[in-house]
Parts: sequence; C-alpha cells; structure tokens
Amino acid sequence: MELRLLELSSLLYFLSALAFCAHVLWSAKRLERGGPLLLGLGFGVHGMAIALRTFSVGVLPVTGFAEGMSFFAWLMVGAYAVAQQRYRLAVIGAVVSPLAFVLTLGASLMYVSGHSISAEFKSPWLPIHVTLAFLGNAVFALAFAVSVIYLLQESLLKSHRRAWMLQKLPALEQLDRLNYVCLFWGFPLLSLGILTGGIWAANTWGRFWSGEPREILSIVLWLMYAGLLQFRLSAGLSGRRAALLTILGFGVLVVSYLAVNILPLSGRHGGGAAL
Amino acid sequence: MVRHLTVSGLNHKSAPIEVREKLSVGSDESVKLLHEAVNLPTVEEAVLLSTCNRVEIVTCCDSPGSDDRLLELSLFRGSGIDSEQLHRHVYTFNGRDAVRHVFRVASSLDSMVVGEPQILGQMKDQFSLSSEHATTGTVLNRLFHKSFSVAKRVRNETRIASRSVSVASAAVDLAGKIFETLEGRTVLLAGLGEIGEVAVRHLLAAGVDRIMVANRTLETAVDLARELGGTPLPLDRMDNYLPLADLVIGAAGGGQLLGADRVRAIMKERQYRAVFFIDLAVPRNFDPAINDIDGAYLYDVDDLEAVVEDNLDERQREAVRAEAIVEEEVDNFWRWLETLNVVPTIVDLRERAESIRQYEVSRTLQRLETLDVDERERVEQMSRAIVNKILHRPTAVLKEARGTHEEPQLVSALRKLFALGEDR
Repeated sequence: MELRLLELSSLLYFLSALAFCAHVLWSAKRLERGGPLLLGLGFGVHGMAIALRTFSVGVLPVTGFAEGMSFFAWLMVGAYAVAQQRYRLAVIGAVVSPLAFVLTLGASLMYVSGHSISAEFKSPWLPIHVTLAFLGNAVFALAFAVSVIYLLQESLLKSHRRAWMLQKLPALEQLDRLNYVCLFWGFPLLSLGILTGGIWAANTWGRFWSGEPREILSIVLWLMYAGLLQFRLSAGLSGRRAALLTILGFGVLVVSYLAVNILPLSGRHGGGAAL
Repeated sequence: MVRHLTVSGLNHKSAPIEVREKLSVGSDESVKLLHEAVNLPTVEEAVLLSTCNRVEIVTCCDSPGSDDRLLELSLFRGSGIDSEQLHRHVYTFNGRDAVRHVFRVASSLDSMVVGEPQILGQMKDQFSLSSEHATTGTVLNRLFHKSFSVAKRVRNETRIASRSVSVASAAVDLAGKIFETLEGRTVLLAGLGEIGEVAVRHLLAAGVDRIMVANRTLETAVDLARELGGTPLPLDRMDNYLPLADLVIGAAGGGQLLGADRVRAIMKERQYRAVFFIDLAVPRNFDPAINDIDGAYLYDVDDLEAVVEDNLDERQREAVRAEAIVEEEVDNFWRWLETLNVVPTIVDLRERAESIRQYEVSRTLQRLETLDVDERERVEQMSRAIVNKILHRPTAVLKEARGTHEEPQLVSALRKLFALGEDR
C-alpha cells in the first residue's frame, strides 16, 4: 500500500513536470495551474505514503537509503509550497517537480518493505536530527531550482530572443532574492541538524563526534554554505555568480550524499542507513 | 417578426484617413444624427460609433434594408464627400453579420492594432450617450452589453492583449523582467531624441523615481528635465553619473557614447547590480559588447523591434481563438433575438401555463380519491378556464403589438416575468 502510494505520487510529480514544461515551452495557458495543482496532489499522496510507513515501522521512515530519498523529496516539495505561498513564483516548480519525480521513482524502485529497526534508531533525537538536516538540504534544493530558473531567465534576456518565454519567468531580482531567502533559512536548519545529530550521538554512543566520513562531509558542506552566506552578506555576491555557486554547492551536496551512501564506507551513516 | 440589425459605416481598412477625418463626429453632432436616425420610419434603435479609426451606425429596424440609403445620407450628409465616392468605402452588415461585427469591434479584433484596449472604453462612452438620449431599446441595449462581456471574455481567455506592441512599452516590459519593481530606480537619458523621451515617459508611468537628462546643449536638457521632474546634465559629464543609473537610455546623435571597458568598470563598482541599457539611437550609442558583461543587459532598436514583432505574431495567433469565442456568442445572441418574436413567445407562455396546470391538477386529484370520472373532468375544465382567462389579455396585447415598436419590450418583459425559455 505504501509502495503503491509512493508510485502514485511519483506519477503525479511526473505529470506535474510535464504540465510545467508545456506551460513554459509551448505557452499552454490552460496548463498554467495544472503544474502546481498536480504537484500539490503528489505532495498529499506522498505524505500519506510516508505516514503509513511511519505507522507500520514505528519510527519516522528515514533509516534506509530509499526512505531517506523519499522523505527528502517530500520536504523539498513542502518547502516549495511554503515559498510559493509567500513569493508567488510558481514556475520554480518546473525544476522542483522533475527533481521530486526522479527522487520518488528511485525510492520506489529501491523500496525495501518493513525492515527491522535497531534500538539506537528509536531515540527521539533521530527524527529531530534527520528532519532538521533534511529540511536544510531541501531548502538548498529549492535554492538550486531558483538558481536554474535564474540562469535560464538571464540567458533569455541576453539572447534577445524568445520574448514570449521570458514573459513567463519571474524577474531576475525576484529570483535572486528568493535564492538569498533560501540560503538564509537553509543554513540555520543545517546547523541545527548537525548539532542535534551530535546530541543524539552523545546520548546513544557517548561521543559527540566520531570522525566518520558523513560527519566530515557535513562539516565541509556547512563551511561551504557559511562561506556562500558570508559572501552574499558582506561582499555583495548576487545575481549570476550567486546562482552559479548555489548550483555548484548543491552539486557537492548531492555527490557527497551519494558517495556516503553508495561507496562501502564504514559508519552509521553509510551502508544502507542514509542519515 | 424578426428585428433587423444593421451596421453601416467605414473603418481604417475600408477608407483612407482623408475620408475618415471628414466624417468623424463630435458628441453634439452625434446626438443630432441619432435623433434623425430614429425618426426615420423603419428605424427603432440606433447607436453611433465614431473614433479615429471608424464611423459606424448600428441600427435595429422593423423591416430589412429599406433605409440603408437614408441612413448613409443622414450620417454622411454635409461631409463634403460625394455619395459616389462614399459608396466605395461604406460597408453594410445585416443580421448575424452585424452582431458579429459589433462583437469583433468591442473585442478589438477589428482594430488597427489588434488587441488594443481603448476601443472598448470608446464604445461604452458612445453607447451611454445613445442610451441617455433614448435612442436605444431592448435589442441594442442587449447587443452592446453583450458585446462588452464578450470583450471581457476575449481578454480573459486569450492572450490577445497581454503583450506590448510598441518599442517603448516593450522596453518597459523587459525592464520588469530584470528588476522586481521599477519604483526607486534611477534612469539616465542620454540625448533628446523623441523616442527616448517617449521611453522615459513610459518608465515614469511604470514607477521609476529619479531621472537624469544628459544633452550636449545643457539648456535643452534643462527644459526637458524640468518637464519630467529630473536633473539636467551636460553630456560630457554623464560618465560620472553612470554608476548611479539602473537604466540607461541612449537617444543621442553622433554614434557611440559608451564602450564596453567603461561599463565593465561601472559594473564592478556597482557590485554587478543589474543595469538595463536601452539603445534607441541610430547610429548606436552603446557598444554591442556591453551585452556580454555580467549584470549588463543591452537592447538596441532592432532587438526591441524583434520583441514587438514576436508579440504581434502572438496576437494574431490569439486572435484566431478570440474569433471562436465571438462566434459562440453570436449564436447565443441570435438565439435570444429569435425568441423576441411574438408567435414563439405565445407558444412558450401557453406551454408554461399548461405544464403548471397539469402538475397542480394531478396533485389535487391524487388527494381527492373519492371523486368520480365526471367530477374529475369538471376540475380539469375549471383549471383550463382559469388559465385561459388569465392568458387571454396578455395574448391579445402581444398579437396587437406585432410589428410595432412596443413588440420587443413586451416580449422581453413577458419572457422575464414568466422565466420563459430559461429552463428548457
């Protein structure tokens, strides 16, 4: 049942991606609302899948690689929905929906039903740690989506062609501002995620820090985003450069996440447990 | 009997400006013409449309076409154009074609620039002039109100008017895709070319705050700056003020004013905050290489013309969808117009009364189970008699009104009072 719902949400994300593309590329006016609507529907179904899984396993389903991807995708779409309420930049969904589709498709292909949970994962700190860290990353994913649209709009403005397409994308300044807002929220979430992870580790194993690869990468990512935020705030980093760095940063985030989970590295975060 | 709708007139396609300008009428004259028109024996209602692109009279008559010539004469008499020449330019639409024409004009499908928004306002004004002077009635009131709602539908459901079709407004649109808002922005206008001034006025209307006007002769810059509420500068000092400007418009004669190297330095100074360079001068004022610099967006006249061309193409495509909407609404209107006939109205009224009678009688008879066949028949007869007595006078009045000016009012009032033709 959970798998069926996950697959259904994946399909809805796919249809939403199609609707967004049709709207941006072929000026299909009727599809203007279709993209956000399908994305919202997918979000609801996806949320039910996660809720059912939580109910059957007994903890927030984030301990497997597939489950982690699915939960991350759900948070990303949620972050998009919140940003959309505030900033009305629906078209960002054109990047968010294909991302959500790929993640949920991967999650449903690698789905493992009902695996046993060891005692250390039943700590109340686990859902807090994972939710905060993932939420931070989800907001960075949103910043990535915003930056992709920024670069697209910028190249349209520079190319002097396809004026009709340009009309459907937001103003550069608006996109730049949303990029900054994402960074502004994502960074403290990531910081809290790392901190709560440390507290959990200290509670369970008696050590705040064990020096395993995922922890080191977390610190690297944290430093990277700290640097990005610092440059924006003090050195006036904005526009195209900020967008490029945001995309690069998200690339590093994805690569490190995959590396830790796929390469045979030791530690609680590696080898199937996607934390 | 069917009302005959007619539109006679000429527009920018059928007549050159020399003819149109002689015919265009002011509102006083227009009222006089309207009264003359409705005093003609067959004309019952009339509305006059006079804009710089068209002069048309829309009429509702009680017999077809007989007053065409009279109409044209009253409308075009005294214009100094001989009727021979006039007849080459005048078109006449009847019936459904007339309805379609009015809907197309209101929806701006018959305009010189398809999708331009002014025509609807002009039509509303001239329609209210006619209705204030009581030259309109049931049919034209409905026709014009319907045409306004058709225009609204066309605007909402198609993108016919969503794009700029002038160089200056295209530039403002593009500025809106760089800057979130134009409020609080500074624009620098270099040179006093007319097109530059037009662009600045558009930007002002869109919210731009500060204006600097640079010109070779400072005195003329002072004049324009005062008029626009800006600061005048001599052109050779412009360079110092460039880093302050978010939008720079080139409209000066004499070729290149600004090279890429200087802009590179400016962008660095501005920490790459965007600048929109709009080069409206020929030969061009700004080095084309400026467009390659991070944060600088350069459009010259050709680029803007291309945007306008694109937008016009889109309007043409959207116009096809708009025509379909118009066609649908013409059908609806025509169906309504046909119901304004006396005969179908009497039939509808009788049917409505008969169905109410049958329903109520059968309800009553169900409860009165003790009645025998004879008694039941008597109840039926009584109900028929009541219906006939009530309907006798309305039917007679309607029949008498056939062909008179009262007919459409009575028919539409009756249809409204008894909700005829609404739930079928």
